[in-house]
Amino acid sequence: MSETSLKGRLGALALVAPLVLFLAIFFAWPLVSMLKESVSDPVGSHAFPLTAAVAGDWDRQSEPPEALKQAFVDDLRAIDDQQLLGDAVRRLNSAQNGFRTLMSRTIRAVEEQPEGPLDLVAVDRRWADVRFWRAVADSTNPYTDRYLLAALDYERDASGRISALPAETSANTAILLRTLGIGAVVTLACALIGLPYAMLVASVDGWKRQVLLGAVLLPLWTSLLVRTAAWFILLQEQGLINDTLMSLGLIGSPLPLIFNRLGVVIAMTHVLLPFMVLPIYSVLLSIPRNLMPAAASLGAPPWRAFLRVLLPLSLRGVVSGSLLVFMTAIGYYITPALIGGAQDQMISSVIAFYAIGSANWGMAGALGAILLVATLALYTVYGRLSADRAGGR
Amino acid sequence: MPLSQSNIRFEKVSKAYGTLRVVDDLDLTIDEGEFLSLLGPSGSGKTTILMMLAGFEAPSGGTISVGSQRIDPLPPHRRNMGVVFQNYALFPHMSVAANVAFPLEMRGTPRLEIDSKVARALDMVQLGAMKDRRPAQLSGGQQQRVALARALVFEPSVVLMDEPLGALDKQLREQMQLDIRALHKRLGLTIVFVTHDQSEALTMSDRIAVFNRGKIEQIGTPREIYDQPRSRFVAQFIGETNLVEGTLAEAGDAGATVKLEGGGTIRVQPSDLRPEAGRILVSVRPERIRLGPDAASENAYPATVTDAVYHGDHLRIQLDNGAFGFVAKADRKTAEFNPGDRVMVSFAPSDCWMLPA
Amino acid sequence: MRAATLFKLLFGVLAVVFLIAPLVAILPLAFTSSVFLTYPIPGYSMRWFNELANANVWRMSIINSLIIGTGTTLLAGTLGTLAALGLRNAGLVLPGLFRTVFLLPMVVPAVVLGVGMQVFFVHLGLANSYAGVIAAHSVVAVPFVVVSVTASLAGIDRRVERAAASLGASPFTVFRRVTLPLALPGILSGAVFAFATSLDEVVLTLFVAGPNQRTLARQMFSSIRENISPAIAAAAFLFIVGTLLIAAIAVLVRRRTEKMKQPAEA
Ligand SMILES: Nc1ncnc2c1ncn2[C@@H]1O[C@H](COP(=O)(O)OP(=O)(O)O)[C@@H](O)[C@H]1O
Ligand SMILES: [Mg+2]
Repeated sequence: MSETSLKGRLGALALVAPLVLFLAIFFAWPLVSMLKESVSDPVGSHAFPLTAAVAGDWDRQSEPPEALKQAFVDDLRAIDDQQLLGDAVRRLNSAQNGFRTLMSRTIRAVEEQPEGPLDLVAVDRRWADVRFWRAVADSTNPYTDRYLLAALDYERDASGRISALPAETSANTAILLRTLGIGAVVTLACALIGLPYAMLVASVDGWKRQVLLGAVLLPLWTSLLVRTAAWFILLQEQGLINDTLMSLGLIGSPLPLIFNRLGVVIAMTHVLLPFMVLPIYSVLLSIPRNLMPAAASLGAPPWRAFLRVLLPLSLRGVVSGSLLVFMTAIGYYITPALIGGAQDQMISSVIAFYAIGSANWGMAGALGAILLVATLALYTVYGRLSADRAGGR
Repeated sequence: MPLSQSNIRFEKVSKAYGTLRVVDDLDLTIDEGEFLSLLGPSGSGKTTILMMLAGFEAPSGGTISVGSQRIDPLPPHRRNMGVVFQNYALFPHMSVAANVAFPLEMRGTPRLEIDSKVARALDMVQLGAMKDRRPAQLSGGQQQRVALARALVFEPSVVLMDEPLGALDKQLREQMQLDIRALHKRLGLTIVFVTHDQSEALTMSDRIAVFNRGKIEQIGTPREIYDQPRSRFVAQFIGETNLVEGTLAEAGDAGATVKLEGGGTIRVQPSDLRPEAGRILVSVRPERIRLGPDAASENAYPATVTDAVYHGDHLRIQLDNGAFGFVAKADRKTAEFNPGDRVMVSFAPSDCWMLPA
Repeated sequence: MRAATLFKLLFGVLAVVFLIAPLVAILPLAFTSSVFLTYPIPGYSMRWFNELANANVWRMSIINSLIIGTGTTLLAGTLGTLAALGLRNAGLVLPGLFRTVFLLPMVVPAVVLGVGMQVFFVHLGLANSYAGVIAAHSVVAVPFVVVSVTASLAGIDRRVERAAASLGASPFTVFRRVTLPLALPGILSGAVFAFATSLDEVVLTLFVAGPNQRTLARQMFSSIRENISPAIAAAAFLFIVGTLLIAAIAVLVRRRTEKMKQPAEA
């Protein structure tokens, strides 16, 4: 039967379906959950459902309506999940200082009078302040852009306008810039070593080519941890590099190579170099071998033939390789975590800190969303480039 | 031609990929025991027709039957036709013997019988000594013969071959042409043979179907196809020919007269062709053209040699008579020709064939 | 010209040293008798291999890595092979889209995926379980299987399968007798890649595994971070020797299959 018949179509779908399903559950869904964490703020709406229902009727500027106040009191009377209440108080306090004491006083008052209307201003004068009510009403919105803004060092002020965080608390932009910076330096280093290396590989053959290719492939096949551990051993204070330099008398005391930027860049360049060499090499292989002799026969001296023929042709490989290296570099975690110091941590480390260290899913998700978008954008460009190359021939 | 019990019939068969009609309304009957070649340029739909017959492509319309049974709903493995693929399609992971044994295993043939049949099939193609080798360890010609043995070992009555000799060098190809032809005779096989090589089709076939863009341009014996092409396409695709344009001036039982564009006339053999506007093409094969100072014929023209190229067994001579150009093939023994020589060109009316313009 | 050659040679040697030296430098330290990971090595012993085999954390982590690696190989190997077969089928709609989606797990940064999995696995009840870790590892291993099997399937001439059908083999027999044996090298190398990926995976493990699923790589990570010892070098030694072995096998398999496929036409 023809392979494009209905049966064939169903058969093909049945074959890819298990993986599609698997990736939908274990790949797409986790990413979506992460993105959802970055914009979700469920505590207030869970803790104060009645308040949430009427919060929309209030314009946030005028005196809060009685219905809102009453709903809030009713919510406080109804709540029996102490953990949820604690979370809600913490959430409110982070939006408006003073809520911790205000709430404990209010909760006591609510417990003393379990029925009927309650004059909150009599309990605490702060309830006359509109800002506190605004915080309550805002907390019942299940979605927030707080984390995404904070990830870029912005916040909403009391009136809801977006403004930059004060310099001393704005660490994230610095880390984002550092991530891009380390990525750029590593990419540059890889290109500077990788391009001549790939040209060297392509220019020789026989065992020489095998050795040169093997030197690229062996690290690629070796565990990333092993390679990072190896650099740890080489770079440490009594490591092989410092030992050698000192015994040669080139330096008097050990150079600081580890737990700093230099070490991170060296180790990451080593780890990512194959991703630069291989794309360039594959482009070079596709260049007909007689192009350089042809240029020579047309009167070009070797260096001009190189500049006018080989270099432009290998440039697409450099671009592919650079995108690949940069894209991988900005997501790196293990190497900076083990070789770098506190000042060399990249965005992934910060994400891991929020997620594992402080269970702040919102921030982890928001920073993760930024990294994800950047990576996918780079990958799209990379995909376009390689598609062009495949189709343009 | 006698209609036999199990001839193969295509009726109104077409095949389209998207909007591209690759096979267009094909009607074709292949007799039992016939050697039919499908001849046509690359992309004319030959492989598609063969694959529909073998069951790998479903027709978009029409029916295919063998004898009284429709076979288009049958899957390939139930059609019982031997197929020799372009580039052979041997199983690279099996030995030669295992390749040939495969169809017998599929049919549940007992082991002992398989062994003897495989041995016989390999002997038939003179490859008995190679039975334990892998296909990659064989030469192209040897692989070709394994493919042939594999397609024949289960004694199918129909064998389909898709350019089976395309990858072989000239000498080997001619040897295999003879071998296949002999097998066809000896086993009484029906063979559908796809090729784009016109000389291969001419030497091997009982009949040739010439394809162009998914349609049969002409079907007939090699002699008919060569001597009596019915269209410009067939005349030019099969062999080389000179085509001269003119109008039909007079036609009778003894022959016809064609008035040429640039003046003069040609006498041609009788034909039923009666074109509407009288416009017509006359085809004259280069090897039928005689050259010489003394050429005497009803059709004789003075011409100038513009080029003469040595081809070993013959000379190819380019001629111009002012009104039209000719190519002629001349026996090396006749004479020497050099550019600039004036010669008489002549050809018998029986060597001139009319076709529609 | 001579200077250029000399320069090329120098550059080549330096680059190869940069690429290979770290891997070589770590190997002898696996046999040190000292507790420090430094040169010169005072004496040689097998104590750190003993440590790997006998110290509870290391032994458990090795066993966990084998369990999780095997699970990942089976899961990713099966899913990836099936998908690659589907991708090859001409009847598949939007093959480009499927291909892209199947490769995406290779692209998404591990930490991002890890955060998502940590959140999601808690909902699913898969947190701190072998099943969860195997699923997580399979997500990042499956692209390698798809790529490897797709490549080996692309090397199969479709006419060979058609030939089998024309000789009387049913679609399933064609698959079993022709497609599968010819794709086997690709499936095996995909499985090896999947195992290696799982063995080396740290980040996702950090996020989704509990203390009971601590793998060798995870153990190496924390031991480099917290109390580095030559046990790291011993583990690295095992990794590198394993890599070399696998590479050698891969080269042999490739040699054999290439010899098989190569047409001998003149
Ligand atoms: N699977 C397919 N999808 C689309 N077009 C096809 C397919 N197979 C063949 N074709 C087209 O059909 C035409 C005829 O092909 P084919 O039968 O192989 O020609 P031939 O064997 O005479 O060279 C060609 O133009 C080819 O491009
Ligand atoms: Mg064809």
